[in-house]
Amino acid sequence: MGRYILRRVLQAVGTLLLVMLLLHLLTTVAIQLNGNPAQAFFGDKIPSPAQVAAVEQRFNLDDPCFDQVGDPCLGPFVERLGQYAQGDFGTNLRGREVSDIVAAAAPNTIRLFCVVLVTWLALGMVLGSVAARWRGSPSDHGIRLTSVLIDAFPVFVLLIVYRYVVAVPLNGWAERTFGENSWPPYWFKPSFDPEHPWATVVVPGILLGLAGSAAFIRLVRAGQLESYQGDHVRTARSKGLAERHVVVHHVVRNSSVPVVTAIGLTFTEALGGAVITEGLMNIYGMGGVLWGAVRDDDVGLVLGIVTLLAAVTVVVMIVVDIAYALLDPRIRYE
Amino acid sequence: MSAVTRPVPNGASGSAPGAAPSDVLLEVTDLTVEFRTPDGPVRAVDGLSYRVEAGRTLAIVGESGSGKSVSSLAVLGLLPDTAHVARGSVHLAGTDLLGLSRKEHRARCGDQVAMVFQDALAALNPVHTVGYQLTEALRARRGMSRADARRRAVELLDLVKVPNAKARVKEYPHQFSGGMRQRVMIASALAMDPDVLIADEPTTALDVTVQAQVLRLLAEIQAERQMGLVLITHDLGVVAGVADDVTVMYAGRAVEQAPVVPVYTTPAHPYTRALLRSIPSSSGAGRLSVIPGRPPNPAAMPAGCPFHPRCDAARDVCRTDVPPAAVPAEGRMSACHFAADIMAGRNPAADDGAGAADGAGAVERRDRRTTTGDEATMPTFTDTGGRDD
Amino acid sequence: MSDAATPTPTTGSAGTPSNPLGEAWRTLRRRPDTIIATAVLLVFAVMAAFPQLFTTTSPRSCPIREARTDPQGWGSEHPLGTDALGCDVLATMVHGVRPSLLLALVVVGVSVVIGVTLGLLAGYYLGWVDYLISRTVEVFLVVPLLLAALLVLSLFKGVDLGAGTFNVILLPAVVLILFGWMPYARYVRASTLEAKNLDYVTAARSLGASDLRIMVRHVLPNAIGTVTALLPTSVAGVISAEAVLSFLGIGVRPPATSWGIQIEQGSQWVLGGSPHILLAPLICLVATVLALVVLGDALRDALDPRLTA
Repeated sequence: MGRYILRRVLQAVGTLLLVMLLLHLLTTVAIQLNGNPAQAFFGDKIPSPAQVAAVEQRFNLDDPCFDQVGDPCLGPFVERLGQYAQGDFGTNLRGREVSDIVAAAAPNTIRLFCVVLVTWLALGMVLGSVAARWRGSPSDHGIRLTSVLIDAFPVFVLLIVYRYVVAVPLNGWAERTFGENSWPPYWFKPSFDPEHPWATVVVPGILLGLAGSAAFIRLVRAGQLESYQGDHVRTARSKGLAERHVVVHHVVRNSSVPVVTAIGLTFTEALGGAVITEGLMNIYGMGGVLWGAVRDDDVGLVLGIVTLLAAVTVVVMIVVDIAYALLDPRIRYE
Repeated sequence: MSAVTRPVPNGASGSAPGAAPSDVLLEVTDLTVEFRTPDGPVRAVDGLSYRVEAGRTLAIVGESGSGKSVSSLAVLGLLPDTAHVARGSVHLAGTDLLGLSRKEHRARCGDQVAMVFQDALAALNPVHTVGYQLTEALRARRGMSRADARRRAVELLDLVKVPNAKARVKEYPHQFSGGMRQRVMIASALAMDPDVLIADEPTTALDVTVQAQVLRLLAEIQAERQMGLVLITHDLGVVAGVADDVTVMYAGRAVEQAPVVPVYTTPAHPYTRALLRSIPSSSGAGRLSVIPGRPPNPAAMPAGCPFHPRCDAARDVCRTDVPPAAVPAEGRMSACHFAADIMAGRNPAADDGAGAADGAGAVERRDRRTTTGDEATMPTFTDTGGRDD
Repeated sequence: MSDAATPTPTTGSAGTPSNPLGEAWRTLRRRPDTIIATAVLLVFAVMAAFPQLFTTTSPRSCPIREARTDPQGWGSEHPLGTDALGCDVLATMVHGVRPSLLLALVVVGVSVVIGVTLGLLAGYYLGWVDYLISRTVEVFLVVPLLLAALLVLSLFKGVDLGAGTFNVILLPAVVLILFGWMPYARYVRASTLEAKNLDYVTAARSLGASDLRIMVRHVLPNAIGTVTALLPTSVAGVISAEAVLSFLGIGVRPPATSWGIQIEQGSQWVLGGSPHILLAPLICLVATVLALVVLGDALRDALDPRLTA
């Protein structure tokens, strides 16, 4: 087990290095084709060459390789890796450290993902289990229809409709019904309120979780159906175990392996969704910062955050692999 | 030699091997199982009856698809959703299991009747340790403590002669070899000391040498505990050393039921006879005979006797009339129009002879025990051994 | 549209029963939901090809004094009203279909070709080919599609590519392909591994069939079912991703319009009394995605019996 984890971690570090190289190459090509991103610092003002040079130096863009199309610029890449290793992820256009921004923004993203995860598991496990248990019944068909409908509303659409159409009237209704200082009005606030980070993140989180839950429902249903048909479930029943015990220990337990894998894969999708959610709902999280950075053309910040989120993804994938090995002894002893 | 046969209306009642009825642990009567299919109901088991007594072993023999496994699933109430028991009863220690609620039926499983499944790799749960699976029912149903359960698991593995039991209870099924895994399967079925054990092809997936070991183990345990054992197999060869009684199934029906020795010496059904011929002999002399054709599709059963298209002794009556259960000798049953003839080792009279149905003709005694394919067309002038209809 | 999702049936009613795609087609033809979904997609496909059929107004003529006119009903000058700049909503919407659909088809088409080829090679040859491809897949999977698109598109925001039909979608297409081919490669690799050991493939190999022939004739048909079932949902995914990117101003490039751009503009005016500017493109987006998802669901059913109810 220990060796398995070690191998996965080493592999992940390699992957992460390659990802950073990939991102670096993309940036380099863009700078070479696109001209100097340092210009963005000045917006519409026309800077003097000295000013540009100063900014270039600050953002590590002063290497001459950025002027030659096709040069991979490995020198600055190594330099940047060194900075990353020291926890220096660069600064945004206004000179604020990316690591500071992330430190301030990450808690809200974590809150959002807590809500998302709970939504996934609640909807996916409950609806998927019900559909598998009573396969072919009206509830199975209903759940299936629900998952198709969920798929038909991308998180972007859900949030636009919620934010611009539903939230304000709901908020007003909640204020009238429960009073202005009660909890419900905060749930339906159309934008994030840093004083009530949990309350204002619940509904966006549920919507984001809802968007990913259709895949979960299908996966849980398929996994459990396979388990129900498995010989080992028949064996468990032949021992006279109560149906509830069989379902928990032999159906749900066995189908948890593919579900955990799905959490890993859906996580990357949800990161994209989190950018949309936080951007649209003005949540001050990593996604919201990224959204704003894209709008402000703050390429340095975009690169820093995407790199960090890629690192987070790698960590999540390791965790998923370990969980996978814990849940399935056949992997563990390979 | 010309035994008088009469139809036995109710399956085993007249045909089960003689034994004191008080010993009967499991009695299956007229069991009929149907599957729902898009083309209407299909009978997988049709009027099967048998009984199992304490300390005795009943072998149910048949090809795959003959309904032998389905019938045992019906006994345990584990039929798939698409199947249901259309008729019949299953009495376990005097209670009709089929009359019980699903929950009550389930409660008798493991406790009074347990099952050993065919493919132990699939039948054991890959994500739980062997120790957990051995004592799962004891912990969940009898509230056994964790420490007691561990001790019991080691005992059970010792019982089925898995070496180094203490260490192996912590391992997972995929870490066991095929034979050892099947022993674990048997141990888990024995965990609650069942009165009747149903073993569904317990040795099919194993090497021949391991097969013999597992069978011997089953026989030992059965003898020691005086359990009733139902051994389901497609291999008549493995039955001889282990079973007391044999039920041969074909296309969902019992075609012959008898104590084990006479089945081998004087089979009373052409199918049994054909099965016996297809067992390779150790001398290796002569060509191994095969049964021509294949089992009928249960959705499109042939008229008359289901075996007639493959039977080397089929006559006209076989193509039209379903044979009743005949009693060609005391304690025996054969679902053949010509049971007595077959048992006597001769072939029934041909159809074109005089009065195939008048039931009183002389019996031609021929000493040929082997029948060849063209015999059916050989002109003979004799009748069968007194079948009355 | 639907042609990409459901491969054209080569056989008529008396098709070969062994062909899974043919069988899937026959199942699909009998389901009303797939027929409706296909019809919806056909309407949008026609809209993309011949926008003049649906509107005669140009989306570029925007008299500011007619800004935010309410919908006037069919037959009037502005059936769906006008937006904040006075542009006709229906015209903008109709002309916005082409870039979205074209982008989706190009992205999915090219991704499938890349993914299937690499997956097939990896699964068939294993060894270092597989190592290389699998590691590449892993690297690309670590960067979520939308994040990659945000990064690359904002990096290349200033690059001028012109205003032709393909030029306006070129950048988003390249990015979405670059970070979108991996799922196909993974699925195809898995089913290639499965198919490779099937008896008839071993037989073909022992009879001296060439690698290419085995891959195309024996292994690929095995994998094609899973990939086909993924197509409609992938197209839907690209369409909604494009809407997000356009909403952020880095998707389809102006002067071309798209539903995403329209939604972005419309969202400002919902509470200002003109919800139609948002609702019209939003409903179109949902209708397209819903039709694709329904089709994908039906295809998954028809091609993947394990999940069938």
